[in-house]
Amino acid sequence: MDFRWDLVWSSMPLLLEGTRLTVQLTAIAVFFGIIIGTVAGMTRLSRGPQRIVAAVYIDFIRGTPLLVQTFIVFYGIPGIIGRPIPAYWAAVLALSINSGAYVAEIVRAGIQSIDKGQTEAALSLGMTGSQIMRHIILPQAFLRIIPPLGNEFIALLKDSSLVSVIALEELVRKGQIIIGRTFRPFEVWLAVALIYLAMTFAVSRLVNFTEKRMKIHA
Amino acid sequence: MLKQPMIEVRNLYKSFGKLEVLRGVSLTVSRGEVVVIIGPSGSGKSTFLRCLNYLETPTSGQILLDGVEVDPKKNLRQVRQEMGMVFQNFNLFPHMKVLENVTLAPRKVLGIEPQEAERKARALLGKVGLADKADSFPDELSGGQRQRVAIARALAMEPQVMLFDEPTSALDPEMIGEVLDVMKQLAQEGRTMLVVTHEMGFAREVGDRVIFMDEGLIVEEGPPQEVFSHPKQARTQEFLSKIL
Ligand SMILES: Nc1ncnc2c1ncn2[C@@H]1O[C@H](COP(=O)(O)OP(=O)(O)OP(=O)(O)O)[C@@H](O)[C@H]1O
Ligand SMILES: [Mg+2]
Repeated sequence: MDFRWDLVWSSMPLLLEGTRLTVQLTAIAVFFGIIIGTVAGMTRLSRGPQRIVAAVYIDFIRGTPLLVQTFIVFYGIPGIIGRPIPAYWAAVLALSINSGAYVAEIVRAGIQSIDKGQTEAALSLGMTGSQIMRHIILPQAFLRIIPPLGNEFIALLKDSSLVSVIALEELVRKGQIIIGRTFRPFEVWLAVALIYLAMTFAVSRLVNFTEKRMKIHA
Repeated sequence: MLKQPMIEVRNLYKSFGKLEVLRGVSLTVSRGEVVVIIGPSGSGKSTFLRCLNYLETPTSGQILLDGVEVDPKKNLRQVRQEMGMVFQNFNLFPHMKVLENVTLAPRKVLGIEPQEAERKARALLGKVGLADKADSFPDELSGGQRQRVAIARALAMEPQVMLFDEPTSALDPEMIGEVLDVMKQLAQEGRTMLVVTHEMGFAREVGDRVIFMDEGLIVEEGPPQEVFSHPKQARTQEFLSKIL
């Protein structure tokens, strides 16, 4: 069989360049995703009309493909604001908004999983709602949120490949470029797959480790 | 001068949807009095305690604490600070050390300086016999120890009244005594206490008054000796014959 390992290796430098962008995009989206998701998840649980805004956001994002969301941001929004959005920022925006909705559901489930007795004990001591959230609920919810959050970030790492459609040279796009030059799709896609696998494996180990370290008193 | 009652409850009603759980409960508790509430499961004992500090909102009725009417719009948190509550399942904060469990509310709610809060917390932990557990986490303690921490946590707010909802029901038998001993000590110090419990020995020894609740009403009340030895109501007799 004519499988050229040398091509897997020689593609690596260029693929690793793309990997850097993939990691960067994912990391930024994770960062904003956590902020957006925490706010949206808590808003979803609050009383009052803002709750509906959060619900619409979460349902819309979770009910539509990331690919379409990316198109809306990259091709749609410029039409409204009257100037183009650089592909990089369009990707950051689309991925952050997307991850925020999934994180929101994780945060909501995490908060709701905390025993009602915790809130009652804190109320009986005279604490306010926001004090209870800050000192009692969120610190405990955080521990339970880590594993599903880790899964969400692994998903985001893989889904970030979708922004290759707006010509961002992340890992998948680099792969396409190399294939255009070498005409060896099997070796190149295999190399791409191995890089994703290494990254998702690393993240899941990191999550397991963190979970074990923190689980002690939950 | 007439001594003002610590707690006065007038005609308290509470329904959950169609289910009427409290059907006109009135009760006056004097300062320093220990009132023990007994009654069959589902009779509304927990609901009654939880209405006092508004963990449940009464459907109607009045509650006065030290002569001041409890009004959730005006003085809810104030009232809660004055009524410490101890739960069947402890409800300690598992992510905090014992010391932090006790200092949190005084610091955040009363604004007490950390060193001062810690000094007081250590004194309270000493009082419940857990001075050496200050740096443990709740999950490192036995049930009896956890409940004693919960008592110290409530006491740290210096409440006027302590509410206990079956504080020993979740405990292994050999740990019940250590919790009851702490409660006994509080009673001897002259604290006003409302205690829902199945511990009839405690009720006899420590209670100033026993209240028997059934189907959302106070059916009978009186000094422990009288209620236990000569219950007047048939329902009280029936209940006591089952548990004594
Ligand atoms: N939040 C709630 N929603 C609906 N029903 C409730 C709620 N809390 C209590 N109840 C019902 O109210 C009734 C009285 O409950 P409560 O807990 O006050 O009884 P209890 O006397 O404390 O009983 P136990 O000895 O079992 O603790 C029960 O029928 C219970 O199912
Ligand atoms: Mg009960």
